Amino acid sequence: MNFFETLFPVLETKFNVEKDASAHWDHSVIAKASVLRDLITFLKNDESSKMEMLLDIVGIDYLGFQDYESPRFAVEYVLKSISRPGNRVRVKVFVSEQDLEVPTISNLYPIANWQEREVYDQYGIIFTGHPDLRRILNHVEFEGHPLRKDYPAHRRQWLSTNDFLLPALEKRLESKGYKVVERSKEVLPNEDEYLTGSIQE
Amino acid sequence: MTPEAQEGNIFTSSLDFLVNWGRKNSLWPFPYGTACCAIEFMSTETARYDLSRIGSEYVRFTPRQSDVLLVAGTITYKQAPILKRIYEQMAEPRWVIAMGACACSGGFYDCYCTVPGIDHIIPVDVYIGGCPPRPESFFDAMFDLQKKVEDESYMKQRAERLKEQIEDIKRKSKECREDLVLRKNEACEMVSNTVRSKVNDVLDVFPFKKGR
Ligand code: SF4
Repeated sequence: MNFFETLFPVLETKFNVEKDASAHWDHSVIAKASVLRDLITFLKNDESSKMEMLLDIVGIDYLGFQDYESPRFAVEYVLKSISRPGNRVRVKVFVSEQDLEVPTISNLYPIANWQEREVYDQYGIIFTGHPDLRRILNHVEFEGHPLRKDYPAHRRQWLSTNDFLLPALEKRLESKGYKVVERSKEVLPNEDEYLTGSIQE
Repeated sequence: MTPEAQEGNIFTSSLDFLVNWGRKNSLWPFPYGTACCAIEFMSTETARYDLSRIGSEYVRFTPRQSDVLLVAGTITYKQAPILKRIYEQMAEPRWVIAMGACACSGGFYDCYCTVPGIDHIIPVDVYIGGCPPRPESFFDAMFDLQKKVEDESYMKQRAERLKEQIEDIKRKSKECREDLVLRKNEACEMVSNTVRSKVNDVLDVFPFKKGR
């Protein structure tokens, strides 16, 4: 028997999820943001599902979608089981434009840290409780969220200076037990130059 | 410096010939490969195509030791300041080849994140079309670049550079001289002021002289 047919009633009673009618080729459930963390924890640890792997976190912007009203955004979590090969499930959470918040799952799956940063970068969805919610693909001077449907696809934004990554690097080294004794002058940013470098529009 | 250096005489033109001959037959590329075009450059390096036939097999991964900046791949806005810095770090004389549609014009990445051609950031000498270009077209570009190098006049550039330097020196020495004059006047004034006050002090001590 299909694993989902046994799993779904459990999820329905426990977390009040619905089946996604638009999923034709795989199994997808729609959940509320408030139960998301419990739901994912259950799917990860419970014997009946054992979804040990988070394949992807996907953002969706439904603006201008045919025959569709609100809410505008959705976040989808694609989960896969390793101990039961072939078992996959998607969890979909709708996010309205007024309240862009979704709880983070980065402490359940370490990879979710970067995937949530990507969704934040491209769609502007805020993952509450995320340890380090910064842009990951676009540069620091970028304004707006480019994969939103109302972002003009050709709006180009120049970056004046490349990112200064030393503070992040040093923090990581320090967390591994190293200590910064001395910095050479060359690696320190020049206050005048920083973010106003040689590239102009 | 002198008109002699600017005119083509036997000595300077043979020197030009010699320098250009040396330069054009040993163009050391700096492969700035960011995407798939760099893979095509690798195959240009292999035995089948053999870039060492024109003396360019010596790929340098430092801008300090290379002559040709070979931009092979897509350049994003996040990458642009890095490319510009690499170009600025290269020593003169330097040339740039834009390899592939992406480096030339942004290619099919007509979007928010890709620079529409590296000539928005740095000057380009030779463009190679194609996605990716074949090794043959890369060779074609190298031959074009060699022709370009051949046409350059080392002595003329040197003369221009020297002219610039001399003008710089002249300007600076003029500034220095003006500064010196200014300071000399100031110093004179200061000295005369002190002398005057000293004299007055002396006169104060010996008031008998005042009456005369
Ligand atoms: S021009 Fe084509 S082959 Fe070259 S980097 Fe762009 S996409 Fe890749």
